[in-house]
Amino acid sequence: MTTNVTVARQMVGAELLRLRKKRGLMVLALAAVMVPLVVWTGYEVIEHAGNPAAYAPAGGLDHYARFLSLLGVFMGPVAAVLIGAEAGAGDLAAGVFRDNVLTGRSRMALFLSRIPAALAVTFTVIAIGFAFAVAVTFAFAGGLPTPSGSLILESAAWLALANGVVCVIAIGLASLTGSRPGAITALIGWELVLSPLLVQSTSLGSARNGLLDGVLLFLKPGPVSGAPVLTMAVAVAVAVTALWAAVLPALGARRMQTRDA
Amino acid sequence: MHITHANRDHDGPAVQTEGLTKRFGERTAVDGVSLTVPRGTAYGFLGHNGAGKTTLIRMLLGLTRASAGEASVLGLPVPEQRAQALARVGAIVEEPSFYPHLTGRENLKIAAAVRGPETRARIDQVLRRVGLDQRGGDRVGTYSLGMRQRLGVARCLLSDPELLILDEPMNGLDPGGMLDVRRMIREMVEEEGRTVFVSSHLLDEVEKTCDVAAIIDGGRVIAQGSIAELVGGSAGELVVECDDAERAAGLLAADPAVHELRIEHGALRMRLLAPDTAGEINARLVGAGVVVSRLEPVRHSLEERFLEMTTRLEVAA
Repeated sequence: MTTNVTVARQMVGAELLRLRKKRGLMVLALAAVMVPLVVWTGYEVIEHAGNPAAYAPAGGLDHYARFLSLLGVFMGPVAAVLIGAEAGAGDLAAGVFRDNVLTGRSRMALFLSRIPAALAVTFTVIAIGFAFAVAVTFAFAGGLPTPSGSLILESAAWLALANGVVCVIAIGLASLTGSRPGAITALIGWELVLSPLLVQSTSLGSARNGLLDGVLLFLKPGPVSGAPVLTMAVAVAVAVTALWAAVLPALGARRMQTRDA
Repeated sequence: MHITHANRDHDGPAVQTEGLTKRFGERTAVDGVSLTVPRGTAYGFLGHNGAGKTTLIRMLLGLTRASAGEASVLGLPVPEQRAQALARVGAIVEEPSFYPHLTGRENLKIAAAVRGPETRARIDQVLRRVGLDQRGGDRVGTYSLGMRQRLGVARCLLSDPELLILDEPMNGLDPGGMLDVRRMIREMVEEEGRTVFVSSHLLDEVEKTCDVAAIIDGGRVIAQGSIAELVGGSAGELVVECDDAERAAGLLAADPAVHELRIEHGALRMRLLAPDTAGEINARLVGAGVVVSRLEPVRHSLEERFLEMTTRLEVAA
């Protein structure tokens, strides 16, 4: 039992090493999160400085809510997809999957070790973006209301949920297809284009309750930030989120078991 | 570095297959192969590209299921007890792959994490073993093919395996790289007591590296045995160079101990009924005033034997 725990810990550590040493991936993931935050903040600071009567300060609670949306359902998930896809198919792309299988270690163990490592990297990247957002919220509040400590903690938990789910979906899809570019293209297209359009399509009615973005915006703490908020029972929201988090990773794990090494 | 497994003294073969067959639809890639790989030897698995070598290795390692037949690795049936068997095996199939953005040492760290906690302590040792201790901190993307092959062997050695299965380890290597790999294989067998199963289409390398070999052609094993046995078909063949080949041929033509006498490139070539009569042949020629400048038993290379056997099969087909 102790040996199994040690092996699992080492395997997760090895995955973590593989991901964090991939410099291009890290730069891209950080840029996906930070560049929009910095550009947006800079723009709003300049606008406010130019005409304080017409433009509100770049900080405060309202901006905080928008930062959260950006980090939770737009650019944060892009970083999560990049990291998850690398974790899911990086060993296949490098040809190392076969060598790992040749050790006799179970394929399920190989698959499972990807998840905590990818989550750890994703959470680190999102945490950097969130720290920046909180700092801007307070630094440029200019007398506007600011989030409470409990809201900040709830927000951190929500960001972890929102980006964590997308990350494991990316791991699952990349493991299922065996293609990193394919998984990235499909998921970013879904996250940035299709899903926001569908969430706003009122004609879909309650069918939108099955969309991950809609559910995550429903669960988002703090004030509404402009995006439409669906109405549903919390239990439904939790069940839908769990379903999204389970189905693709399960399919990916299944494919890992049967994939020709 | 020596094998420390409790099972190292087991006497059974390192690999045994019985009627192992793999079909891909209508095509039979491996056809009823029965092999016995003795422990503590370098075993060459020889065949043209596409002869079925890699398919057989993939079956042995449980990467693909056999259509028929049985196989055991280190006494354990595969694929039934594949995980236990592979814990004692190091293998490279086709070519070793690594994460190019990581260093050699980091790649081994990842492999060690998958293998188990005890292997981590061996990383520096195996890097030294394959002569990469000075380059272990460099990114694998900067390695030559030979260095990647050696790193692949290092990764195999992490688990202190009893059996190494190396698929075409000389592929793409320059002569220096080939020599390194050959030397490493011999040391692993002679000094460390491991069994090394080497598949190759490079006949000369197998002859120089291995003790025992099997020849596979069209998915079937057409010969197996020690290298000496495999090339031993030339026993009793003699080549004689002298000042007058025509006259010498005349002197020996009627000798009942001499068969298949012919002149090739100015030298006499013959098959003797009894190989130890070469001295008598020399005495007869010298006694008759023929000046013999060279008298040598013919030794076929494995390459000649291999081509002879595979050509014979092609003709028969």
